[in-house]
Amino acid sequence: MAKGMFVDTSICTGCKACQVACKEWNELPGEPAHFHKVPDRPYQVAINFTGNSYDNTGQLSATDWRHVRFIEQFNENRTEARWYFSSDSCKHCNDAGCLNACPVKAIVRTDMGNVFVQQDVCIGCKYCIPSCPYGVISFSEQSGTVHKCTLCNDRIHNGLGTACAKACPTGSISFGEVEELKKRADARLAQLKMRGFTKANIYGYTEAGSLNVFYLFMDEPSVYGQPEHPVVPQRRLFRSAAITVLTAVAMAVAALISFREQGTKKNGEVKP
Amino acid sequence: MSPETQAPHWEWYYIAMYFYIGGISAGAYFIGSLVELLGREKLREISRIAYYIAFPLICITPILLIADLGQPARFWHLFFYTKDITPYINHQSPLSVGTWALLIYSGMSFLSFLNVLVADGRLKSPALRSLLKLFNRIPHKVYAAIGSFFGFFVAGYTGVLLNTTARPLWEATDPLIGSLFIVSAASTGAAVIARALKRQNIVSGEMLERLELFDRVAMIFELLLIIMMVIIAGQYASPILRGWYGLMFWGGTVAVGILAPLWLNWSARRPTTSVNNPVLLGAVLILFGGALLRITLVQAGQIP
Repeated sequence: MAKGMFVDTSICTGCKACQVACKEWNELPGEPAHFHKVPDRPYQVAINFTGNSYDNTGQLSATDWRHVRFIEQFNENRTEARWYFSSDSCKHCNDAGCLNACPVKAIVRTDMGNVFVQQDVCIGCKYCIPSCPYGVISFSEQSGTVHKCTLCNDRIHNGLGTACAKACPTGSISFGEVEELKKRADARLAQLKMRGFTKANIYGYTEAGSLNVFYLFMDEPSVYGQPEHPVVPQRRLFRSAAITVLTAVAMAVAALISFREQGTKKNGEVKP
Repeated sequence: MSPETQAPHWEWYYIAMYFYIGGISAGAYFIGSLVELLGREKLREISRIAYYIAFPLICITPILLIADLGQPARFWHLFFYTKDITPYINHQSPLSVGTWALLIYSGMSFLSFLNVLVADGRLKSPALRSLLKLFNRIPHKVYAAIGSFFGFFVAGYTGVLLNTTARPLWEATDPLIGSLFIVSAASTGAAVIARALKRQNIVSGEMLERLELFDRVAMIFELLLIIMMVIIAGQYASPILRGWYGLMFWGGTVAVGILAPLWLNWSARRPTTSVNNPVLLGAVLILFGGALLRITLVQAGQIP
């Protein structure tokens, strides 16, 4: 049975405990891009944080497998504000673009349905990176391989839940059987709709062959930076390949005509 | 379209150059093998030169590809799954299928290379001679046919590889980059043969005429594909419409690499114009345009 997570953004407070728990359990270092050498300091200084938001990392990366996205909406004179938070990570798609693209079988799906990168197999070709419609999987210069959330592969195969879900103080992230989580999500959505939150929606039932990590959003998915209609790239492969083959055939015909025996008619040749 | 996909950070001097050099090699090989299969004695020099060019060029490409890997020493994982050491291919991944195609194409172009070396009496190594003798139980035309099939594969899969991603420019131009790369490979392949024939001064009027005719068709086709590609990409074509990449694409690939050679090619048809210089210049311009085509499409697709 597939395990997954349900992220109920309506009760996320943006505390980032999940980010910290993820870093700790997976022993992930600080994001190298955030640290730079400055003159007169022997050590690297953190100077590249977003700086204009309570969102500290800005995006997912090879060392930030979880990212609490801050959606900060203010009116003109900043008297009114609406904050949304959404704890984002790999969605463990059932039709995973990264897994489909991997040429060495480094990215595999385990018996629990999570998509996992085998670090000893990955060659660092980076083709999975643009193949993920969510921009999740990232390359690490340090290891020369790609990294992303594993759904705490080691924990879940030993009877524990994910570290982020364990640390979440409001129950916004819950771990469990996907089918069970869906029931909980549907009930929560019905409750919110009844209370007048008409824009509330579940994201992940149909996208990319359904997502094992899915979300309850209070507004359109695009407000949370998620694609409205993500396309798994490989679903376009056949058409793309077919058109290319047709072009190859057309070029072969052009070459046959150009190099055939009779040749082109000479200029000024007159038919008898 | 996905708002927040990540770029692979492929370097232009590795990946775009691989697309370019692999394309020239495959295009030249395809023309050479086609002429051989047609059995045109008068055009025999085209095949000979094509086989001389194709193999050395394709030898450069694995170096570029391996250098771009994060773990270069693990390149062999592309052929064998490390957990059980069995041959591995992922049919859904153009990168995986393309790697095997590149291997087969390299083998065929190697045999063709040895073949012309023997024909010219240049192959001294007894080991290589006996190797070739082993393979020559099958007529060379069979290798040429297999090689040109996989050569086309090598030229075209690189475009399919870009189209089969979620990056906005590459996704929006689907399914035309593969076609564009095939046509460009054919055109740059013909150009490199024309250039080499010129250099060796073994060029007959007919050979150049035929190569030019083929190049003309390819360039017109390429131009049409570029126009179609920009139309279907709509707003997502902006990375190749603006800035440096816009300049490189429209100024370099289209104006210098296609329109100028087309004009030279056209004016060379008139009997009054001197044939020599336009061909030389035209071929160089085509090769320049082909390089910029790969660089702009690969790099512009990666800008945030």
